[in-house]
Amino acid sequence: TSFRGAHSRLTQTIAQQKIRALVSARRDRDRQKRDFRRLWITRINTVIRKKGVYYNYSKFIHELYKRQLLLNHKILAQIAILNRNFIYMIYNENIKNEDSKE
Amino acid sequence: RRQTGAALNSDNRPSGAVATTSRKALAGLRRIDLDGLRWRVFDAKGQVLGRLASQISTVLQGKDKPTYTPNRDDGDMCVVLNAKDIGITGRKLTDKYYRWHTGYVGHLKERSLKDQMSKDPTEVIRKAVLRMLPRNKLRDDRDRKLRIFTSDEHPFGDKPLEPYIMPPRQVREMRPRARRALIRAQKKAEQQGVTTTKNGKKEEEKVELSA
Repeated sequence: TSFRGAHSRLTQTIAQQKIRALVSARRDRDRQKRDFRRLWITRINTVIRKKGVYYNYSKFIHELYKRQLLLNHKILAQIAILNRNFIYMIYNENIKNEDSKE
Repeated sequence: RRQTGAALNSDNRPSGAVATTSRKALAGLRRIDLDGLRWRVFDAKGQVLGRLASQISTVLQGKDKPTYTPNRDDGDMCVVLNAKDIGITGRKLTDKYYRWHTGYVGHLKERSLKDQMSKDPTEVIRKAVLRMLPRNKLRDDRDRKLRIFTSDEHPFGDKPLEPYIMPPRQVREMRPRARRALIRAQKKAEQQGVTTTKNGKKEEEKVELSA
């Protein structure tokens, strides 16, 4: 394990370090959900911005919510990395339906 | 004495006047592994300083790739050309000062943009970009990926270079006082003929109207 020096050899310090490790594990399990959502949002933003000036993540997500498309961010980010064209297809669908609605 | 006719030393390193700039340019290349990154070329001629720097910093962080990871530096190599032709708006050439403190009491040094440009125009862009990057452990690595050159020549001719097209920008129309000044200057230039040569219209004086 990566408990360095006295933290893996002395009984009392081991007990303390174990408590700290468990605390940070619990804390970070909640943080993990936040961190990953952040990462997905950044990644979706990068791909979406290529689609034109003044077009960004916020507008894209707004369109998705209007259409009631319930794709979650994790999947959208994976689509963005692996199959960039599919995001563009979603974007085109949005644009097309917007024109027909108006 | 070495009698090489070409501008290359015996072990294929450039020599002569090209040497100092290009040696510095080729210097840290060994520390950058992963040649899966692209070489993007930015042409600074006529671009406004801050807007160009912000685009460079996004490319340098790797934020235009969908595989962006915040704990890993994945930015592209950025080569900036024509640093001396960068555009500055307003009165910044005379009024913008770079200040630093040497540590000794009372020794706050300052240098205006104009002096900095005459000394080393690459520093202007480098400072602008560096101050736009996030201050974390990756900042120095990102700085190593940024190469700035004063003019058009660079020693990276053999790499696969891709020019970077700046996104279209909504240029604000000139304030009425500045526009009138511009028209007056144009009329004067027409009257005097071709003698007055303005170099490249770097200094568009968009004077802010004080309310």
